[in-house]
Amino acid sequence: MTLPSSISTRLGQHGYLAVGGAILLGLLFVFVFVRGGYLLTVMQLAMIYGVFCIGLNFFMGYTGQASFGQNAFAALGGYGTAVLCVQYGWEPILALFASMAISGVASVVVGYPTLRLRGHYLAMATFALGLITYDISVQWQSVTQGYMGYSGIPPLGIGPFTVEDERWKLVVLMVIVLFGLWISGRLRNSRFGRALRAISTSELGASALGIRISHYKLAAFVIAALYASAAGSLFAHVVGFISPEVFGAQMVIVTFTMLYVGGVGTVLGPAIGAVIASLLPEIVRSTGRFQDIAYALVLILLLIYVPKGLSALFGIGRPRPAKTTNPGS
Amino acid sequence: MTLLSVRGLTKRFDGLTANSEISLDVEEGSLFAVIGPNGAGKTTFFNMVSGFLPSTAGSITFAGTDITTMRQDKIAAMGLIRTFQLVQMFQNMTVAENVEVGFHLKTRGGVGAALVRPPWLRRQEEDIRVKARELLDFVGLGAQADMDAGLLPYGQQRLLEVARAMAAGPRLLLLDEPAAGLNAHETDALADVIQHINGRGITVLLIEHDVGLVTRIAHRIAVLDFGCKIAEGTPDEIKKHPDVIAAYLGTETENA
Amino acid sequence: MPSVVELVQSLVNGVGIGLVYGLIAIGFCVIYNASGIVNFAQGVFVMLGGMFAYSFLVTLKWPLALAAAASIIVVAGIGVLVQIFIIRPMWERKAPMFAIILATLAVQLLIEQIVILTMGDQPRTYPEFTLGGPLKLGPIAIGYQLFWVLGCGALMVVLLQLFFNKTRVGRALRACSQNREAAALLGIPVGGMLMLSFALSAGLGAAAGILITPTQYTAYSVGAPFGVNGFISAIIGGFGSAPAALAGGILLGVVQSAAIVVFGAGYKNVIALTVLLIVLLFFPKGLFGGLAKKH
Ligand SMILES: Nc1ncnc2c1ncn2[C@@H]1O[C@H](COP(=O)(O)OP(=O)(O)O)[C@@H](O)[C@H]1O
Ligand SMILES: [Mg+2]
Repeated sequence: MTLPSSISTRLGQHGYLAVGGAILLGLLFVFVFVRGGYLLTVMQLAMIYGVFCIGLNFFMGYTGQASFGQNAFAALGGYGTAVLCVQYGWEPILALFASMAISGVASVVVGYPTLRLRGHYLAMATFALGLITYDISVQWQSVTQGYMGYSGIPPLGIGPFTVEDERWKLVVLMVIVLFGLWISGRLRNSRFGRALRAISTSELGASALGIRISHYKLAAFVIAALYASAAGSLFAHVVGFISPEVFGAQMVIVTFTMLYVGGVGTVLGPAIGAVIASLLPEIVRSTGRFQDIAYALVLILLLIYVPKGLSALFGIGRPRPAKTTNPGS
Repeated sequence: MTLLSVRGLTKRFDGLTANSEISLDVEEGSLFAVIGPNGAGKTTFFNMVSGFLPSTAGSITFAGTDITTMRQDKIAAMGLIRTFQLVQMFQNMTVAENVEVGFHLKTRGGVGAALVRPPWLRRQEEDIRVKARELLDFVGLGAQADMDAGLLPYGQQRLLEVARAMAAGPRLLLLDEPAAGLNAHETDALADVIQHINGRGITVLLIEHDVGLVTRIAHRIAVLDFGCKIAEGTPDEIKKHPDVIAAYLGTETENA
Repeated sequence: MPSVVELVQSLVNGVGIGLVYGLIAIGFCVIYNASGIVNFAQGVFVMLGGMFAYSFLVTLKWPLALAAAASIIVVAGIGVLVQIFIIRPMWERKAPMFAIILATLAVQLLIEQIVILTMGDQPRTYPEFTLGGPLKLGPIAIGYQLFWVLGCGALMVVLLQLFFNKTRVGRALRACSQNREAAALLGIPVGGMLMLSFALSAGLGAAAGILITPTQYTAYSVGAPFGVNGFISAIIGGFGSAPAALAGGILLGVVQSAAIVVFGAGYKNVIALTVLLIVLLFFPKGLFGGLAKKH
């Protein structure tokens, strides 16, 4: 295979691994398309979780902060969309963006005070956020319909064009994930992204260089919330049904598992992790409860034995060692 | 002209007075050193000057502006840039990226610009890439530019931290024991770098433990002991100062 | 507006539930002080305590004392297993704090799902320890179970204090909490102490669950709210001594009960969590700076 030399030098060894992985993923999607059926649903959910994880990666991966409550914003997106579409007959696409706007504002309001916390307090406060949202979605029946949840949420679409075919839904979701990855990649390798990544390893060093830590943390938190909200809305439109359980605490575990499988802090990691972690339970043909158990076990094992995520194991996404080292200098 | 002027700066931790009524003036363009035994309060002094620690009393004026209670990122934006006694590497980034982060204050662009990448942003990125290379060459790390910063040996991490601070365009550079943990050869290289930085017109305020290094390169030296400034003067004056010899130099003459 | 009677009644109820929070809070403190770890799965022990007590008492028809003791022992054993298989390997590898928190959350989910698989997702409860009641003091009704909660809670705190102050093992555990490195140098088996702290706090959680289940119910999902409420109590109490944690729990329980009267029972966790956020925001280092001190 011949590539233009500029591309091949830029790719490097790991670049080829990434290309190989991309081709594998492509083949997987072709297979899913031809095969159809239940696998389509699995991949749709993988893409939706992928969107969530790409956002989580901003806060967790790039910025190195822990939030155990991003599911709150997914719930906000999901219920926002459901209420706007079902109760008020909004266009799905408008409802999605409106929900994102609401989540964005909510994340600023909540994040501004919360992110001043550190360590266990930050962890518990974010975790509480998810629990509060869950309880509200159960209790505020006049709006959320309680445990029963919302059904009959219309599929995505603009005007007369609606995406109802399962294969097309997957295509649309894939495009959204690619767009989300594109944003993530662009931001990571920018002044903004460098500031985030600097904060993740040394807040002292970053602030000595004039980086305003609190602003950047908040920005990463808001971005993560926007992605989470979009994921929640997409779930509502694609599946057509939401309930409090969809955005419960297991969403936190599932998405963290995905992030760890794919690689925390890498651009592609969240999406790859979402696909792999979604397929794994299918391979062992487990469903429901066993699936959650499997996720929890995989996550625990990863946290103990591969704390940097699977991709670190293969060296994907790691900076290259110097070609020539010059110890004499 | 006086660039940094400190008056009566005091810091008390619970019972301990880590800095007591310290006053000093740093002339623009000079290479000023603060020396003193371990625990004398040098780092505490730096932490207050750079806004990382609120002071108990006293005032700090930088370039004519009172920065006593200013936020650290604003102080940095005024051109007062510091390094740390314990190296603060961005371990997950390459050596070059570390320096690129250093350009944060000298560049602009947030989320929107990063997504659209307008021409000015691309020029800016290209610009800092080139300048980062220059700085790395300047401190002798050009060959390690694409390496994972966390993999650098300790001595080179110190140099990288200096290069990174230089990227922020300091008017006053605060270096906290940059030679700590370096061997003689590395210390010489570092002394060279510091003198070159000062030669570029950047004022340097240096904390150092190694008296030999300080008396060789500093224009002026202040000596701290138990949180108090016990002497200030030229290297020659300091070497002769009886209090200093008693409190500090006496134990270090073999090294000097 | 709620009447005075309603408020007093809710105060009484609040003391009961608050004591339970306090016991959970002590569990948080015991582990935190021994290891610097905050075990987010703490609430799951409460749920398990109720679940096992239900199984022994209702399904196997064991006598109450035996069922309670067995339940506490089994849950303490589960706590030890969690420590051996999950916490210790991470602790020894110096895993970052949030990774350990995440792992404890995963443990919580794991245990919840296993409970659903084996016991189903229906809420369970069993009769109060002393039948009859409630005791009527004018318009105020006090369930007999409240006396059990108060009595057992007080007993446990006294026993804990004795354990920490009078026994060799207890003093060793305290030494660990003050300075782990120094304790290790003194020849105290720090690893063993960590295990002991998990056993102790799991057992405490189980006891709390056994006591409170008759007045409410237990179900796979009650763990998380109990855990959070226990954590809030620990913060209010300053993450230090057992009596302070207990006081923190009672304070929270009373506030929560009063709030329920005003806002309705459905929102009780929302209220507690809002209290948490407020406490955290206005006292970012905790009310007594307990956690921040040790980082
Ligand atoms: N954050 C702090 N809290 C309490 N004491 C401190 C703190 N920082 C420094 N100290 C104390 O202040 C004194 C001076 O420390 P430092 O400024 O680091 O000295 P130096 O840098 O000269 O070695 C030491 O006794 C140290 O223990
Ligand atoms: Mg120092």
